[in-house]
Amino acid sequence: MVKVNDRMRDIGEFIPAKDDDILICRCEEITKGEIRRAVHDGIFTMEEMRRYLRNGMGLCQGQTCGKLVKNIMAKELKISPLELEPETSRAPMRPIEMEIYAKDGGNV
Amino acid sequence: MKTTAEVIIVGGGVVGNAAAYYLAKKGVDVLVLEADDSIGHGGSSRNGGGVRQSGRDVRELPYAIYGIKNLWPTLSEELGVDVEYHQGGNLRLGLEESHLDILRGQVERATSLGLDVKMVDAKEVQEICPYLSDRIVGASWCPTDGHANPMKTTLAFYKRARELGVTFISGEKVVELKKQKGKIRKVMTENGNTYEGETVILAAGYESRKIAQTVGIDIPMTPFFEACLVTEMQPPMFDIMLGVATAEIYGHQCDHGSFVFGSGTGLEATLEPKLDDLRISALDVSANCRAIMKYVPMLKDAKIVRSWGGWMDITHDHVPVISKVSEVPGLILACGMSGHGFGTGPAVGLMLSQMVLDEPLICDSTPLRYDRFKSDR
Amino acid sequence: MKRYDLVIVGAGPAGLSAAIEAAKNGLNVVVYDENSKPGGQLFKQIHKFFGSKEHKAKIRGFKIGEELLEEADKLGVEVVLNAIVLGLHPEKELTIKVEEEVIHVKGDTVIIATGAAENMVTFRGWTLPGVIGAGAAQTMMNLNKVRPGDKVLMLGTGNVGLVVSYQLLQAGCEVVALVDAAPRVGGYGVHAAKVARTGVPFYLSHTIIEAEGKDHVTGVVIGEVDANWNIIPGSEKHFDVDTICMAVGLSPMSQLLKSAGCKIVEDPKKGGVVPEIDELGQTSIPGVYAAGDVSGIEEASSAMIEGRIAGAAASEYLGYITKEELEEKIKVNESALDALRQGMFAPKNRGKLLEKTEEGVDISMNLLKKGYLLEEEVEKYPGVTKQKGVHPVIECTQNIPCNPCQDSCPKGCIMVGKNITSLPVVDTEKQCIGCGMCVASCSGQSIFLVDEEFEEGYASITMPYEFLPLPKVGDKGVALDRSGAKVCEAEVVDVRKAPVFDHTNLLTIKVPVEMSMKARFFKN
Repeated sequence: MVKVNDRMRDIGEFIPAKDDDILICRCEEITKGEIRRAVHDGIFTMEEMRRYLRNGMGLCQGQTCGKLVKNIMAKELKISPLELEPETSRAPMRPIEMEIYAKDGGNV
Repeated sequence: MKTTAEVIIVGGGVVGNAAAYYLAKKGVDVLVLEADDSIGHGGSSRNGGGVRQSGRDVRELPYAIYGIKNLWPTLSEELGVDVEYHQGGNLRLGLEESHLDILRGQVERATSLGLDVKMVDAKEVQEICPYLSDRIVGASWCPTDGHANPMKTTLAFYKRARELGVTFISGEKVVELKKQKGKIRKVMTENGNTYEGETVILAAGYESRKIAQTVGIDIPMTPFFEACLVTEMQPPMFDIMLGVATAEIYGHQCDHGSFVFGSGTGLEATLEPKLDDLRISALDVSANCRAIMKYVPMLKDAKIVRSWGGWMDITHDHVPVISKVSEVPGLILACGMSGHGFGTGPAVGLMLSQMVLDEPLICDSTPLRYDRFKSDR
Repeated sequence: MKRYDLVIVGAGPAGLSAAIEAAKNGLNVVVYDENSKPGGQLFKQIHKFFGSKEHKAKIRGFKIGEELLEEADKLGVEVVLNAIVLGLHPEKELTIKVEEEVIHVKGDTVIIATGAAENMVTFRGWTLPGVIGAGAAQTMMNLNKVRPGDKVLMLGTGNVGLVVSYQLLQAGCEVVALVDAAPRVGGYGVHAAKVARTGVPFYLSHTIIEAEGKDHVTGVVIGEVDANWNIIPGSEKHFDVDTICMAVGLSPMSQLLKSAGCKIVEDPKKGGVVPEIDELGQTSIPGVYAAGDVSGIEEASSAMIEGRIAGAAASEYLGYITKEELEEKIKVNESALDALRQGMFAPKNRGKLLEKTEEGVDISMNLLKKGYLLEEEVEKYPGVTKQKGVHPVIECTQNIPCNPCQDSCPKGCIMVGKNITSLPVVDTEKQCIGCGMCVASCSGQSIFLVDEEFEEGYASITMPYEFLPLPKVGDKGVALDRSGAKVCEAEVVDVRKAPVFDHTNLLTIKVPVEMSMKARFFKN
């Protein structure tokens, strides 16, 4: 659901926190602090965050960190996590070697 | 919420965001409307990341060259975000003699405009990049081409423009423009909101066509779908941008270590043009993998972690429309990027800011006018 | 390209049940699963299931898996293992990695039954080796026969946390504590009670502050949280552990449906992002269905029923059964599903604090906070009676959908009634013969046989016992109460094993008669 989202709205200042160094996305090694800071750079959606920091774009494609990132972003944006659109999923569902993927019976 | 500004930009892609940034830098009051929830939802974030001059039409080359000489090298510093720009050169590969003919033609046209591009033989190809297939018989080589991270570049322009006071509103799909007293004035959205500005820049990809039609302007273009994939991290191998004479694939290794390649199945032209359908076909990834392995066989064990696709806006002559509209004063078109929008995005953004302020342009924009399309029959 | 009437992704309880239903109706069916063994999570479930006969109650999960597989096999369902579905594309085309290549398959209908994945919570050190999901612990123990660690702290008191804690104990691990940030135990009280009585302390309103260790977990610090989930200073407690297990909920694995363009919704009551489905399980793409945890986190029992409904719906979609036949099947399955969705743990009651049972008895707050019933509370429930001679004492105090105890008693001493969430009632008019069938049948291990006239001054207590080594008659040890505290000396006077008990052995101990309502566990 597309919603009107004014990117100029006041979300307050970025306030550093003690646990900012905790890893959230293990595949791409993205910390809580990086995610929180990105929100203050104007990164207001899950899709933008993934593009900005690569969180959830690694081997597990956000299976583990998706909910975690969403909750961190929602808290920073002072909204309910339900207001954030879930990230998209794309094939392949699991990482697959190029050589195997290439063998699908297509013309070579 | 702010609803009026000196300049309203329709489309929060790399072109719209770059224009917003260069305008804000010059003190102009700007408002950007993005149809989707996310900034950079369209082709700006979905392309293969090439920042190239080689292979471009002579009409595009002047600003493509300008961007690479004057904008890209300092962009990360200027925007405060690492956009991962690398000027490692571009190899355009050929596997057989007929491919080399295509490449020779391109080289000839580009050198006539002063671009440093030349043909190289199989041995030179291996010297430039030892990771490529030994089946490659030759290539064109443009040492000043490169690549960057499209997602970060698009968002970096957004971030910096926002810091400079540009208002961005996402989730506002523009459906209609309206003139007032002979000039552009109103921008109306699907949600029923109206925004007003003295100048409107239309940079909404293929969607620009429908929007421009509401003020009686048509840009002959078609949407065209292309898919990309990304591998897991690999050890650092090379810094160059890769293309091929047949245009089957293009791609590069990212700072992150992963390889991004764009391609298609060859069946794209038969797709129904449904712009909100971003699913890739069941054939895409496999076809892409086969094409990549033809040129970079050592990537065979690299795992694919994700694929995606996006729509391009291809004009009738495959050259963008970057133009003021005589019949609609105040309206500026920046669409029909024809798959070249990312690499030239910064230069086009700068050029748009110059058009708004009636400053001298970085190059002559006459060949890029919207009214150049005439029947030749 | 290969073409099937029905392609199913996921050979867990939902997928296999769907396959069986559809194959019975004449569809040609293929099931793809990425694992090397079919059955999904069922083969890790070594505990007995709840419900009634139609839900395969009191049968252990892995047995249910074997039964489903056998039935699917008999019906000619093709089950392809080590098959990784890569994408669900337009026109119901799937790309699947099978062996060393990618195949393309189309289904006239498709059922996605991909299940769920575990959630994680973050704290300092959460990425250290030794911090694992409860599901991973189960896989290690029950599939690969590897003990996850020696000393384990479990985070999460939902059914998964409780059941896996018990399995860790069975595997010989020491469970140092069960921790949950919520103020109350989330899972069934009976599951909590069987862990608590072995001596595992429960820390509700607590969370993990830090996992300690350099390159693997060597300890953990927990602390109490206030109403705003902030740590109360000074409440920190340290445990030496080598493993931290997380059982903090599941998220539907709906990625395949998302990528296919199905409409999705986010519903915290269903565990996260789920496809929008109708009462048949059909998504926004006609002919594509979702069943089991992928459409909302529930128990395997519900997943099997959802699978049957989706299988029947696909059959009707393709004209193999009539609309009337489908309606009949749905009626049967929905009433079975409805029965499972009743009681205090029903989806509609999630997050609510119920204070009384359906019968009007106070719900034990101690059970919810500490994991065990207080002696003075026990006597209020209808399964607990005082009788001469041997008789059942049923410490089942919450309305959960389960009734095997009723059917197990050859003398009709136990009544649950038509409403399977009702608390079991012991009929004092009927004569208990001490056969122990009820003890072994109770999936919650909450039934004991008590005989206060066992010997002069001594009572006997027969308890369900699922640990090894099994004590022998004559063994002397200690009796533990419901909290796991030692209350008296005890001696084993009988050990009963029987195939019909299905590995729930009956251990009878002798304790001083005043301990008859206190002693509930035995340790050598």
